[in-house]
Amino acid sequence: MDKELIQQIRDKARNLLKEGTVEGVIGYERASDDLTSRPLFAYSPSDTERLIFDETCAHNLVKYLLDKKGKKIAVVVKPCDSRAINLLLNEGQIERDNVFIIGVGCPGMVETNWNHKSETLQAKCRTCQLFKPVVYDFLAGGEIERQAEEETYSDITEEEAKSVATRREFWLEQFGRCIRCYACRQVCPGCYCPVCFAERLDPLWVGIRIAPEENDMWQTIRSFHLAGRCIGCNECERVCPVDIPLSLLNRKLEKDVKELFAFQAGLDPEEPPPFATFKKEEVMEFEK
Amino acid sequence: MNLFASKDDLIRWLGSLLKEHIVIAPVRVQEQTTFQPISRVEEVVFDFNNTALSPKGWFLPPTETLFSVQRDDGKVELVPTKVERDAVIFGLHPCDARGIALMDSPFLQEPSDALYRERRSRTALIGLACRQAQPECFCTSMGSAPDDPSNVDILLTEVEDDYIVQAVTEKGKALLPKGLAEYKGKVPAPPKLETVPTKEVISAMRELFNDPYWEQLADRCLHCNICAYVCPTCYCFDMRDYADKGKVERVRSWESCQSPGFSLTAGGYDPRTTKGERLRQRFYHKLFYFPEQFQDVACVGCGRCVRDCPVNIDIREVISNLKQVMEAKSGS
Amino acid sequence: MKSAYEPKVIGFLCNWCSYAGADMAGTSRMRYPQNIRIIRVPCSGRVDPLFVVKCFQRGADGVLVSGCHPGDCHYTEGNYYTRRRFALLREFLDYLGIAKERLRVEWVSASEGQKFAELLSDFTAELAGLGPRSKI
Repeated sequence: MDKELIQQIRDKARNLLKEGTVEGVIGYERASDDLTSRPLFAYSPSDTERLIFDETCAHNLVKYLLDKKGKKIAVVVKPCDSRAINLLLNEGQIERDNVFIIGVGCPGMVETNWNHKSETLQAKCRTCQLFKPVVYDFLAGGEIERQAEEETYSDITEEEAKSVATRREFWLEQFGRCIRCYACRQVCPGCYCPVCFAERLDPLWVGIRIAPEENDMWQTIRSFHLAGRCIGCNECERVCPVDIPLSLLNRKLEKDVKELFAFQAGLDPEEPPPFATFKKEEVMEFEK
Repeated sequence: MNLFASKDDLIRWLGSLLKEHIVIAPVRVQEQTTFQPISRVEEVVFDFNNTALSPKGWFLPPTETLFSVQRDDGKVELVPTKVERDAVIFGLHPCDARGIALMDSPFLQEPSDALYRERRSRTALIGLACRQAQPECFCTSMGSAPDDPSNVDILLTEVEDDYIVQAVTEKGKALLPKGLAEYKGKVPAPPKLETVPTKEVISAMRELFNDPYWEQLADRCLHCNICAYVCPTCYCFDMRDYADKGKVERVRSWESCQSPGFSLTAGGYDPRTTKGERLRQRFYHKLFYFPEQFQDVACVGCGRCVRDCPVNIDIREVISNLKQVMEAKSGS
Repeated sequence: MKSAYEPKVIGFLCNWCSYAGADMAGTSRMRYPQNIRIIRVPCSGRVDPLFVVKCFQRGADGVLVSGCHPGDCHYTEGNYYTRRRFALLREFLDYLGIAKERLRVEWVSASEGQKFAELLSDFTAELAGLGPRSKI
């Protein structure tokens, strides 16, 4: 644990609350296992003593800004999480003036479960090219220097090389395990529809059966709704209680959006997302 | 009287049970252990911590058709789903067995749930005492124990690589193979567990309903359904009729009070709209409404919600916090 | 020649061009396979990927999304969005195991009755060749 970094976060958070710049600070505190971490909502200067930051702080706290609309809130963001801020700004969900961003340079997060902390970096961190947040008001701990592997999408191309029938079988097996707890949706900063298509009764897009054909519908549309919007925090995969490899869906879309539309979500709060714009002269594969 | 079975005896016995029964046992699926009907004894995992999902799914499946409607010659007939075969659940820990016993209260109270009742009466439970406790375990604070035989038909306790066999009910006795020797040795002591002040808090729950604690706690809650779906005692469901190409089915699926829209009524009114109200419902159902109605706390201390909550809402911590809130109130 | 398998096709046709094109094929008495069920939409841009996925879930063998040629949209630019959206969806469905040949996106104008008839014959034959989708 980087004590100096934590002290900077605490000092900043305490001052923001003392001065009344914000109503609350969303950060991380130690979890009940005394090993990993969990989100902390600090409303008083004394709460800020509980703030921490280390390699277990995987949660993307930007999601919570959607619950606190209209309030002035400070939030601790890692580089990957910061892209979610740009996403929400781009889509008009939050106001920049209402958010104070305490950025942190990120050494990469390790795989954790309650009471378990591994030495292994999360897959998304191994290829992360962001060493500091893309947007912040205060950068705690300064920039971090580290090595990152190149994102080659090798697991995706491996899937793509298989036959359509093999892929169908694979995904039905994966979706067959889904218990439709909707944790993937609930944790996602890009999922904020007032009424999710999965909860609409008329027309009934997804039935209540927790069965492969309905789960397939759910997961296909959920991930496609995030096409060009997923910022790659991979929280959905992390929280999935039945270990469905959701990153294989999100990163496939990320890869194709990059190739087809040269776009990556959350890097720029102004650039229009790929489905809200077009180029008259572009030619798609099916037109050739 | 305790009996003795070697591991080989046990495997042979399970094999013979498979001939007449559906056997549901812990198996490995990817990296997880979970209860599933098995086709071969080799699939069974004997050494496991609490499974990913509890065995409640056998009695209340994630999805099931309650009945279908068939139309024939102008006649309309309701065809209920039938339970085809007797079943055995092998290897449930005492906490999971207590979970099933607790579900009996709402489901078997008259008018009872026909499918649940049928499955329950045709299923035998073979329990496996816990020789080790996990850090998330707290069954002794919730009316059970790692070696609690009270909710199973047969309880097995592992000693070295073999098993002490305790036939708890007549149903259990009838299932046992003939010729097991008596076990005269000592039964190993169960592991010790951390305790939670459940009793004190239950008695004060009525006073804590409007406490700001719930909104604070709910700040970090994501309102996914993980806690409810991994819980051995959460039994809420949703039902809908499916009509497709002339066939009509009534389907029941798991639902949870954490879902947005769970308590939405026709006409658009929702009595639980805030995050705090929804999260409070979970703990009130477990620690107040259920005990009021059926005496017992609707938690068995298996620790699955503690283990799986993505934001670490730890029911033991909630209970301890409530105790502090309660003491602060009575102190002031 | 009648193929061994008769695929089910759902077609989303825009009101201004493709639906009129299909109408043209009909009124000109052109022959085309009867495997298609047509759903008229105001613009191909109205077609939510959800509609297409739902068709496949409910057992369609193929889906056709058809609108005005780029530049000719009645609403000026609706079909440009359609083009992007379905270019990606085709790749994604293919990845999930629904061959991209099963989702066709075609530009058919009101005067292209012949094109519509030919395209349907071609699509139906291709789907028949692929055979029924594996049931879930």
